[in-house]
Amino acid sequence: MAPIQVAALHGLGVPQDRLERLASASGLSVWQARGGAGGTRSRPSRPADPAGRVVVVVDSASPEELRAGLDKPFTALVESVGLTEGDLVATLVHAAGYDLYVSLTTVTANRLELANRIATAIAHRHPMAEARREDMELALHEATTNAVIHGNLGMDSMKGLSITALDRFSRDLTARLTDPAFAKRRLEVSVGIDQGGATVEVADQGSGFSAKPSGSGGASGRGLELIAAIAQSYEILDGGRRIRMRFAL
Amino acid sequence: MEYAIDIREQEAVVRLRGRLTFNDHAKLRALIQEMLQNKAKRQVLDLSNLEFVDSAGIGMLLIAREEMTNIDKQFVLRGAQGQVKRVLSVAQLGKIISIEE
Repeated sequence: MAPIQVAALHGLGVPQDRLERLASASGLSVWQARGGAGGTRSRPSRPADPAGRVVVVVDSASPEELRAGLDKPFTALVESVGLTEGDLVATLVHAAGYDLYVSLTTVTANRLELANRIATAIAHRHPMAEARREDMELALHEATTNAVIHGNLGMDSMKGLSITALDRFSRDLTARLTDPAFAKRRLEVSVGIDQGGATVEVADQGSGFSAKPSGSGGASGRGLELIAAIAQSYEILDGGRRIRMRFAL
Repeated sequence: MEYAIDIREQEAVVRLRGRLTFNDHAKLRALIQEMLQNKAKRQVLDLSNLEFVDSAGIGMLLIAREEMTNIDKQFVLRGAQGQVKRVLSVAQLGKIISIEE
C-alpha cells in the first residue's frame, strides 16, 4: 500500500512537546530534515516527502530564519503570536492545503519583503524569465502594500502632491506600525500553482475599502493599475479585504 | 533606498540606489529638502542603480517634481532600466515628468 502523503510541521522557536501537540492536533507529521540528526526522542517519524508540504509554525525567529521560511522544502509560514491554540491549529490545517501560504502580523510581513519571498518561491516551483518574476513580485508587492497600509493600518492614500501630504503619511505610518492594535492585525497570502499559472490571494483584517477610480496626477492610486497591467485578471472580494490575482505562467 | 547628491553650479545630480518603496518615505522627504535647498536650477535623478520602484515610489517622485516646479526648478529622471523603466512606462509618467535615457 502506497504511503499516505501527509504534510509535515516544522517549528521555529517552538518547544518539542508543543510542536508534537500541534502536529498531532493538525493531522501533520513532525518534519525531519532528510539526512539530518533527527529528533531527540526515539519515536519514529515519517521522513519528509520531497513532493510534500512543510508548514513552518513560528513562536520566535530571527530575520534570517523568517527570510528562509518559504525556501524549499518549506511551503507555509504561520506566526503563532496572538492566536489561541485552537485558531492556530485551524490555520495550520488551512496552510497545508496550499502550494504556498503565509499568515503573518503586519509588522513581520513588512520587515520580510514578503512579495520578493513569494515571487521567488513561485519561480522555484514554476521556472520563468527574470523579467516575468520581477513583474509578478511588483503585483504581489502592490497587493500586500494595499493590505498593510489601507487594510490593516487603516490609512488613506496621500491626498495631493505636496510635502505636506508626504509628511502626514510618514507620521501616520510610523505611528500605526508601532500601535499594537494595528500592528498585530494579520496579512494572509495563499498560492495555488497549476499547469497554466498561479492564483494568489492576499487578505487583510481591515475594515474593507471600495476601489476608487485611479485619478490622473495624484500621488496615490496606481497600485491596482499596475496589478491590472501585470496579472491576467484580478477580483476584489470580502468587501475589499481580499484580492485574488491570476498570473499566467 | 540610498542616495548621493552631487551639486554643481547649473545642475544637481542625485544617484538613487537599491529599492524605492513606501517604506522610504522619510528618506524621500530628506532628499526633497536637499533638492529644494541647493542652488542649481536643474535637478536630475539618476535611476540607473535603482532596482525596484512601487506605486508609492512613483507618487513620491511626482511630489518631488511638483515641489521643484513650484520654485521654478527643472526636474528630470534619467537612466531608468529594467523593472523601473517598465513601471515608469506603465504609469505613463513620461507625460508628466521629463524622462531621459
